Amino acid sequence: MNAMKEDVLFQREDEAPEVQEEIVSSRKYLIFVVDDLRIGLDAEYAVEILNGYTVTYLPMMPSYICGIFNMRGQIIPMMDIRLRLGKESLENSLLVVLNYNNNHLGILVDAVELMLDIPDESIMPIPAQSAQKLVSGMCTLPDGLGTMLVLDCEQLLAP
Amino acid sequence: MSSNDILDMYIYETNTLLEQLETIVLDAEKENTFSQDNVNEIFRIMHTIKGSSAMMEFDTLARVSHRIEDLFFIIRENTMDVVSEANRPALFDLMLHSVDYFREEMEKVEAEQPLNKDVDSFLANINSLIAKIKGEEPAEEAAPAAPPAAAPAGGGSEAAPAQASEGNPDFPYQLRVFFDDGCGMENLRAYMLVTAMQSFCADSDFLYEPAAVEQDASTAETIIENGFLLMFRHPEARETAIAAVQSAGSVRSYQPHDYVAPPPPPAPAEKEAAVSAAAVTPAPKAAPAAPPAAAAGANAQQHQKESLISVNLSKLDALSAIVGEIVITEAMVTGSPDLKGMHLDLFHKSARELRKLTDELQDVSMSLRMIPVSNTFQKMNRIVRDMCKKLNKQVKLTLVGENTEVDKTIVDSIGDPIMHMVRNSMDHGIEENVQDRIDAGKDPVGEILLSAQDTGSEVIIQISDDGAGVNDEAVLAKAIRNGIASPDIEYSHKEILNFLMAPGFSTNAQVTEFSGRGVGMDVVKSGVESLGGTVSITSEQGKGMTTIMRIPLTMAIMDGMEVSVGDSIFTIPIKDVRSSVKVTNKDILHDSVNGEMVKLMDSYYPVIRARELYNLPGGEEDVENGILMWLESGDISYALFVDELLGEHQIVVKPFPAYVNNFDIKNYGITGCSILGDGSISIILDAKGLYTAAHIV
Repeated sequence: MNAMKEDVLFQREDEAPEVQEEIVSSRKYLIFVVDDLRIGLDAEYAVEILNGYTVTYLPMMPSYICGIFNMRGQIIPMMDIRLRLGKESLENSLLVVLNYNNNHLGILVDAVELMLDIPDESIMPIPAQSAQKLVSGMCTLPDGLGTMLVLDCEQLLAP
Repeated sequence: MSSNDILDMYIYETNTLLEQLETIVLDAEKENTFSQDNVNEIFRIMHTIKGSSAMMEFDTLARVSHRIEDLFFIIRENTMDVVSEANRPALFDLMLHSVDYFREEMEKVEAEQPLNKDVDSFLANINSLIAKIKGEEPAEEAAPAAPPAAAPAGGGSEAAPAQASEGNPDFPYQLRVFFDDGCGMENLRAYMLVTAMQSFCADSDFLYEPAAVEQDASTAETIIENGFLLMFRHPEARETAIAAVQSAGSVRSYQPHDYVAPPPPPAPAEKEAAVSAAAVTPAPKAAPAAPPAAAAGANAQQHQKESLISVNLSKLDALSAIVGEIVITEAMVTGSPDLKGMHLDLFHKSARELRKLTDELQDVSMSLRMIPVSNTFQKMNRIVRDMCKKLNKQVKLTLVGENTEVDKTIVDSIGDPIMHMVRNSMDHGIEENVQDRIDAGKDPVGEILLSAQDTGSEVIIQISDDGAGVNDEAVLAKAIRNGIASPDIEYSHKEILNFLMAPGFSTNAQVTEFSGRGVGMDVVKSGVESLGGTVSITSEQGKGMTTIMRIPLTMAIMDGMEVSVGDSIFTIPIKDVRSSVKVTNKDILHDSVNGEMVKLMDSYYPVIRARELYNLPGGEEDVENGILMWLESGDISYALFVDELLGEHQIVVKPFPAYVNNFDIKNYGITGCSILGDGSISIILDAKGLYTAAHIV
């Protein structure tokens, strides 16, 4: 028992420098397009992507809430993120369902682009003077894909 | 099991035990004795609470329950004879107090607040009662009866045997002080107390024991063993001393008692002491032998208990939600449009079978959430008892239909409204003077009747008293004073009674401990209405008052009328729908502020257009192409204009997601939603909320 523990200890000491390089913490992001913006949603919060859905209009809600929809018996509110960001609404949208701290929300986006691993350190804070809403950080994507804005789910779900 | 589950279990178990305990004590109080079965039961309850509290490391709770266990150990060994008649009220009070104490602490445990650390005075109360009981029993029995484990919990049992030998008839008012375990230098601490006494009490007016505390360090041992005894010539001095002892450091507990060898004069300052002094000669008691029948009954109860399990409510909620889905899915499958025009005999046979089973499943899953109202009703016994004592009224509480089973959420929320009404009846209903009742030809003992009845679709809870009833003039005068009523209008009896339920109305000029804090029946009304129920009051002056609460039995599944406006589908609870009418443009009357009205059955009602109220994207404009739904809820009645009536359905109510609720749509009469057979969503409207919204917008 003891001997084994020591073994492990030694091993860790020996390999520590190497390992550190390997486990640079990174997260998977689901990158979707809204107008001319690329927005990344932490894949941990993404539940699914739907393209056929029926929305039920819910009165007395802000205009960016299109209504509610039924996903396998679960009632989920649907938000047009274009309207939320102050842009024009688009006809043919995809629905990305996210689950943040057990709050479900469907967001309408133009298209889903790709899933990408992005190291945490490459995400920069947004400039303080930027008035961009719902974004907690930004990063330059590799291979000339442009810039991704990190979606702030906390802000998104705040009333 | 995580530690949280264990804590939940502990709270649940302890609360159940406390309820049991309260019932036993209340019943026993009526008999004025504890049967041997009761004593055993209480002993067992306290033992369990002690054990589990100690396990959860709630030391104070464990200490208190330990002392009560000691108390009942004595009673168990010597039967109830050991407690003289005079001490019994104190015993019952103490037990009810301890129930309250434990409940309070349980609430704190639940809220994760720190527990009350200062239980010394409570322990002292128990100790003094133990001492009194022991003081009455023959000396040779006292010693063996003392529980061996008492030492860490409190000083009462050591004090009792010593009491007989100590004392000085000239200084009858004694005070025994115990210091914290292991605080050290007990003799010097005692001497500091003596110095404190000297500041307000002449040396010749008090004695203390052991006397040599200042010089002799070995007295510390004696003080740890027997406590430090202060003896006063006058009761007033002891009162002051108690205050001084309370403020002194390291005092674990103290107990005042009186020197009892020769019957001393009653101490005026100490009520309880007076009781004990008057009762030094134990009264002979009737044989307390437990009848075998009662024992058998207890066994049966025991057995029943073991066949019960407790389940987390959230699991039951999940179950009823799934069952609701199954019911709807079943209707979706068997009524699928794909099957139209096909001859499927076997399929239909199986479908019928399936429907039967799903119906049964629904019934069973509903019954799981049903619990009898008896617990809530039993609690009222305690309230009536306490208020009888406080208000000096004689009232008996009669319970009818306490085994009626109601959904758990309803039981949880009717407790407060019922309690409020019972207090109201006690406080305002039953006459102040017994003579008034006798003059009116009534039984001098007032009666409050609490009944529950299940009609299949709703539960009716009725609270009635045979008191003075509502004084219409007084209520009206008050309503006018509060600006609820107008002095120029003549009100009917029914309208006046409705003032009672208006917010901020309370007829009692004086705010009492129990009722009349300015929040009154309106709380009852809103509480019951939040359950989808209604409250009505009837009263006849001189005969009493009756409050009737009607609460729908289940809220998760309800009957609704589906209507459409444009593409939207709304469901209106069937209980709010009076009828639907087709009208022509001629029937619609316009008022000066662009409002519309319609004449239905000789009365005019406002018309609300759903499309306009909710800014819906589609829907009929022309009244002749749509339909009017005549809705009624409480005293509100109006017509809602919609496109089409789709029919009546049983629906499963689903709450909105939390995000949606952030936008306060409940204020617009939109209460929830429901998934229809084809997977689309209908929005549930609340007739009253909708009306209110229409008049604010």
